[in-house]
Amino acid sequence: MFLINCPYCGERDQSEFSCGGEAHIERPKQPTELSDDQWAEYLFMRKNIKGIQFERWNHIHGCRKWFNIVRDTSNDKIHAVYKMGERPPVK
Amino acid sequence: MLNFNSPIKSEKNYDDLKIIEIEPTIKINLRGNKRQFSTKIGKILSILPPNEANTSSGNEKFNLLWLSPDEWLIYSNDKNISLEDQLNLEESLFNEISKLNQGAVTNVSDHWIMINLKGNKIYDLLSKSCPYNFNDFKKKNGSVAQTIVNHIDTILHNKGDNNINIFVRRSFSEDFWRWLNDSAKYV
Repeated sequence: MFLINCPYCGERDQSEFSCGGEAHIERPKQPTELSDDQWAEYLFMRKNIKGIQFERWNHIHGCRKWFNIVRDTSNDKIHAVYKMGERPPVK
Repeated sequence: MLNFNSPIKSEKNYDDLKIIEIEPTIKINLRGNKRQFSTKIGKILSILPPNEANTSSGNEKFNLLWLSPDEWLIYSNDKNISLEDQLNLEESLFNEISKLNQGAVTNVSDHWIMINLKGNKIYDLLSKSCPYNFNDFKKKNGSVAQTIVNHIDTILHNKGDNNINIFVRRSFSEDFWRWLNDSAKYV
């Protein structure tokens, strides 16, 4: 369990949130030109690394807004929280 | 509003704790982010929607709760507001906002149940199954929190002096009511 600082509501318990998986995955500009393997790669394959990961989260039991966080998956330490459409504050 | 039959029939009194359902009250959900949207609400209700997170504004008739940066909930303080007045309010909001494409107005009176909790032990009761930190919430009159209590989505509105209103979805209300009364025996 850990706390997440929602950019709209403030600090809340993780149980109020839902993780939406890896962030910053760009939709291919011409999906019809992709092979099945390339489309599957875009649609299903996620990194799921041990370490710092960029993720989308939704404050599902609060303001119901989506936002991004930079989280270390090995210890759940959150390095940054930023709104949708904003640039990641860390690389 | 529908002529509903509430599953919650009684008022419960415990040591330093009183739980009662306040129904029927009109509740209207408002969504919008245009500047004219706020102006229109201010004109109709004489209350401006709060922009600060987790706060509310109100007058003797209505409360306006912040739910998210572009969403608010209106509810009336008056349990005896006539059906005609309710329909007039909904209609004027709908005509001024929804019809002009400046936002969305939805009557959610039958969607949410309002339960009032009074007494010194209300935060002890809620803390039994709620991950929310009530330290700032209880200090500030009018503060609003959307959180989970006993795994059920709720909206909490602090009316001050250990008096809070809790909104819970109708389908969860009976379960929530039973949990409140069960837990109240052990605080």
